[in-house]
Amino acid sequence: MKLILTIAWRNILRHKGKSLVIGVILFTGAFLMTVGNGVIAGMARGVEKNIIDGFMGDIVLMSDEQKSDNILLNMMGGSIEPVYTYKAIKEVLRAQPYVQKWLPAGKNLAMILNENDATPMALYLIGADLTAYREMFPDNFTVIEGTYPARAGRALLLPGFQRGEIYNYSNTWFMSETGGVVKEHLKKEALEELAALRVSSSIVLMGMASGINSTTDIRFPINGVIKYGALDQIFGHFAIVDLESYRECLGYLTAADMAAQVPQEEKKLLGLEGASLDSLFGEDMLAEAPKAAPVRAAAAPAAVSAEDGVYNVVFIKLKPGVNSGDALRRLNAALTAAGAKVRAVPWNKASGPIGGMALIIGGALFVFVMLLFSVAVIIIVNTLTMSALERAPELGMMRAVGAQKPFIAGMFLGETAILSSLFGGLGIALGVLAVRVIPLLKISTNNDMLQLLYGGNIFSPILSLSAIALTILQLAAVTVIAALYPMRVAARVTPLDAVTRD
Amino acid sequence: MNIIEIKGLKKDYPLGATIVPALRGVDLEVGEGDFMSIIGPSGSGKTTLLNIIGCIDFATSGLVSVGGREITALNDRQITDIRLNKIGFIFQTFNLIPVLDVLENIEFPLLLMKRSAAEARKRAEKLVEEVGLKEYAAHRPAELSGGQRQRVAIARALVTNPDIVLADEPTANLDSVTGASILELMRRMNEIEKTTFIFSTHDANVLKYARRIVKIKDGLIEKEPVAA
Repeated sequence: MKLILTIAWRNILRHKGKSLVIGVILFTGAFLMTVGNGVIAGMARGVEKNIIDGFMGDIVLMSDEQKSDNILLNMMGGSIEPVYTYKAIKEVLRAQPYVQKWLPAGKNLAMILNENDATPMALYLIGADLTAYREMFPDNFTVIEGTYPARAGRALLLPGFQRGEIYNYSNTWFMSETGGVVKEHLKKEALEELAALRVSSSIVLMGMASGINSTTDIRFPINGVIKYGALDQIFGHFAIVDLESYRECLGYLTAADMAAQVPQEEKKLLGLEGASLDSLFGEDMLAEAPKAAPVRAAAAPAAVSAEDGVYNVVFIKLKPGVNSGDALRRLNAALTAAGAKVRAVPWNKASGPIGGMALIIGGALFVFVMLLFSVAVIIIVNTLTMSALERAPELGMMRAVGAQKPFIAGMFLGETAILSSLFGGLGIALGVLAVRVIPLLKISTNNDMLQLLYGGNIFSPILSLSAIALTILQLAAVTVIAALYPMRVAARVTPLDAVTRD
Repeated sequence: MNIIEIKGLKKDYPLGATIVPALRGVDLEVGEGDFMSIIGPSGSGKTTLLNIIGCIDFATSGLVSVGGREITALNDRQITDIRLNKIGFIFQTFNLIPVLDVLENIEFPLLLMKRSAAEARKRAEKLVEEVGLKEYAAHRPAELSGGQRQRVAIARALVTNPDIVLADEPTANLDSVTGASILELMRRMNEIEKTTFIFSTHDANVLKYARRIVKIKDGLIEKEPVAA
């Protein structure tokens, strides 16, 4: 081995020009691959972090009736099916040791009813217990105007991004109840027409959910205007409202509705929903009433909480270090066993197009880097093959004096390996340095696509040890692939070549 | 005892649709410790004969035995082992490894044999002294004259204590004085190491050094043996 490496190293020095060409290619490839891996990893981690930590947790529970796993940016009309079994779900979640915390929530689309003209707009709503929401996602947005709702009751946090969109469409500038118009946040066009600016501190929403025949127009006070910490142009379509108002808006039965005393006869009628209407007029109906009276008297009305009402999703965060795939399998099994009629979906599926886009961009970067290395492989193969042919008399002489084919092949592999180690190693080292330096430059963007690429608002490529190891492996693979054909050519040189090519 | 035995050796080279016979049926026996010259004009087949004896080319037909081992049916790995362990080569154009210095070139075959670095170095140093290049031990081939390079080649050929050293026109690229000194050296090494030397030449002046001369013409041995 020492002999092979000695000869390989001296041959590198002897053929400095060729070595430099191969070295520069390897350096460029390794550098770009390292930075590329950093960008891919940073993007994946950024999207993952922003979505898991700030928006939907690791796992999302949704109704079995829900057709699409994507519950984040589903198109108009693709509403999220209601979940009626939260109490059973809660018991299941409590029993799972890998679950850190969870948040039941409503999530659907609502129409913004324009009071000044007849053209409505849409807004995604997340309905949740606002205290629990903040505990679940403590850092995902900043209240830039107004305050976070401290009291119970009707409340809405309007994203600043969507406010701008609404202004573009309706010429109305929404502000918080307490904050008034903050000039610094006004759009340029609004600022230019400040005197004529139409403002409002409340917003009228009408829920849009499939399977619900009646929704209610709700006037929400705007408690605050928020800005999401990352991916604001994506998450900025989501307003956060209190759970009861959400249910009311969407036409779901609220906890207050459920707590109301319903006469037994009416309960009976409600219980007949979906059955033959003729039965309403049947004799048993009339006959049952007296029998029911003692039961009503005996039973105290059950306490009804918000948890009895309808949700659309349950966001779940796992404990650190838990294998999410394993947790997903166990959770689905437990939910099925409990008859909860919901399924657990990983965040990347539940986030639909965002997770998909991240994968596509990551894939494109990977293909680019692979393409670069393919070109590098072709150039290295060509250069080394030429070298093998030029050195045929020398190689033939080595074979003549007793060098076996693997020795000759090893010499070429050794040359490529040394060049890879030196130039590729330098490329990786500088790539790592670049990946470390780039986040310090705080390169930021407001562009949707770039935010996906950046994994957030700030370009933050990262490199884990495993990513560096992956780059080294890729470089090693390139080295071996690039050396294979020249090794074969070199090993095929016969001792006779030492004589005949003289 | 014969170290080389050749019977009915034929070698044909295809040249398009034509077959060009290089050896037409050579019978030859070489005794252990011989210092033998194969002579003949260009194209007579002497290089082909040396190449086949040296296991760097293959016979079309016939039997070739080197050191008691029939070589015509061996695979590449076995043939290479024979070249490494039993045969030393001296080429017309010296053929040293340009990136290794004199000592490293000489010890190269020993390292291929997996001998220890210390043992290889000791043997190489002994030989470099014997061929008179001690002060050039650290020089690369490009820093040596033709004669010096051929001395290095001789030392390398002998370093493994081979049964046979084959030299194809070893003086062809040297001036007469240097060529003579090389032949003197080969002869001396033959006496010291008791190694069989076979060398080809078409230079009549070289013949006086040979103890045995084999003349080859048109692929056949014409006159054999001739006492030196």
